[in-house]
Amino acid sequence: MILANLFAADDIDPARSVHWLWPEQAELIYGSIASLLIFGALWKFAGPAIKKAMAERTQGIQTELDESAAAKAEAEAEAASIRQAAGDIDAERQRLFAEADAQAEAVLADGRARLDQEVAELEARAAADIASASGRVNDELRAEITRISHAATEQLLSSGAIDDATQQDLIESFISRVGAS
Amino acid sequence: MSDARIDGYARALFEVARAEGTIDEVEDELFRFARSFESSDELRTALTDEQVPAAKRQAIVEDLLGGKATSTTTQLVSMVVGSGRGRDLPAIIDKLVARAANSKDLSVAEVRSAVALTDDQQTRLKAALANATGKQVSLKVIVDPSVLGGIVATVGDTVIDGSVRTRVDQLKSRL
Repeated sequence: MILANLFAADDIDPARSVHWLWPEQAELIYGSIASLLIFGALWKFAGPAIKKAMAERTQGIQTELDESAAAKAEAEAEAASIRQAAGDIDAERQRLFAEADAQAEAVLADGRARLDQEVAELEARAAADIASASGRVNDELRAEITRISHAATEQLLSSGAIDDATQQDLIESFISRVGAS
Repeated sequence: MSDARIDGYARALFEVARAEGTIDEVEDELFRFARSFESSDELRTALTDEQVPAAKRQAIVEDLLGGKATSTTTQLVSMVVGSGRGRDLPAIIDKLVARAANSKDLSVAEVRSAVALTDDQQTRLKAALANATGKQVSLKVIVDPSVLGGIVATVGDTVIDGSVRTRVDQLKSRL
C-alpha cells in the first residue's frame, strides 16, 4: 500500500518531484552529475589504492590459503609420519613381545634343562650315597658279625667246649679220612 | 750254624745213640725235648744265653731231664748245650730223627694233636699215613693244645691238616 502510494502520484507537478520521497528533477540531475563526478574522482584517485589493497588482500588471502594448504600438507605428512611411527611402534612392540617371548621360552627351556640335570645329578648322588651307605652298613655289619663270631668261637674253644669224646671223634675221623685217601 | 755243622752234630749224636743201642728211645726223647725247647721261651733263653756259664746250662739240662729221660739223651743234650750250640738244638735233633728214620727206610711223620694218642690210634694213624703217602713212616706225636682238636700230620713236605684250629681260622677268614 505504501509502494502503491509512492508510484501512483499522477497529479503531482512535473517541476516538482513526482513523489514526496524523490528529489526534484534538477536536483536529481545535478545530484547525479555530482555523484558521477565524485565516483569518477574516487575511481580515479582512490581506485588504484583500493585495487591495490584488494590485490594485497587477495594476495594475503592467497598466501594464507597457501600457508593453510602447506600447513595442512605438513600436518597430513606429520599425521602420516605419526601413523607410520605408530605403526613402527606397534611393529616394534610386536617384535619386542616376540623377542621377549622367545627369550622367556629359551630361559624357561634352559631352566627346565638345568633343573632336569640337577634333578638327575641329585638322584645319581642320592643313589650313590644310598649305595655307599648300604655298602658301609653291610661292611660294618659283616665286621661286627665277624668280630662276634671270633669272640664267640674263641670263648667257646677257651672254655673247653671240645670234650674228650669229641676229641676222640676228631682223631678217629682224621685217621679214617687219611686211611681212605 | 751251617748245615754242614748241624749235620755233623746230628750224625755224631745218632752214632752215639746207635752205639748205645737206644736209638729209638733216644730219638723219641730228643724229639720231644726239641719241641719243648721250641715252645718255651724261658727254656730257650736259659739254654742259649752266652752269659750263663756252660756248666750252669748243663746243670739245667740235668735238672730237666734227669730221671725223666735216658742218660744217653741227657748227656747228648748236655753236650750240645755245653758246646754253645743250644740255639741249633731243634735243627740238630730234627736231622738226627730224619737220619734215624732213613736208616730204617722210614719217613718222619710229625703228628700234632690236642690230646695224647693211644697206642692203637698211633698204630692205625701210622698205617693210614703210610697208605696216604706211600711211605713207611716213623710217627712222632706232639701234644699241642693250640691245635684245639683233631690232628695235623706232616710227612716231609706234605701236610695233612685236620685240626679244629685250622677250621676255625678258615671260618674266621671266610667271615
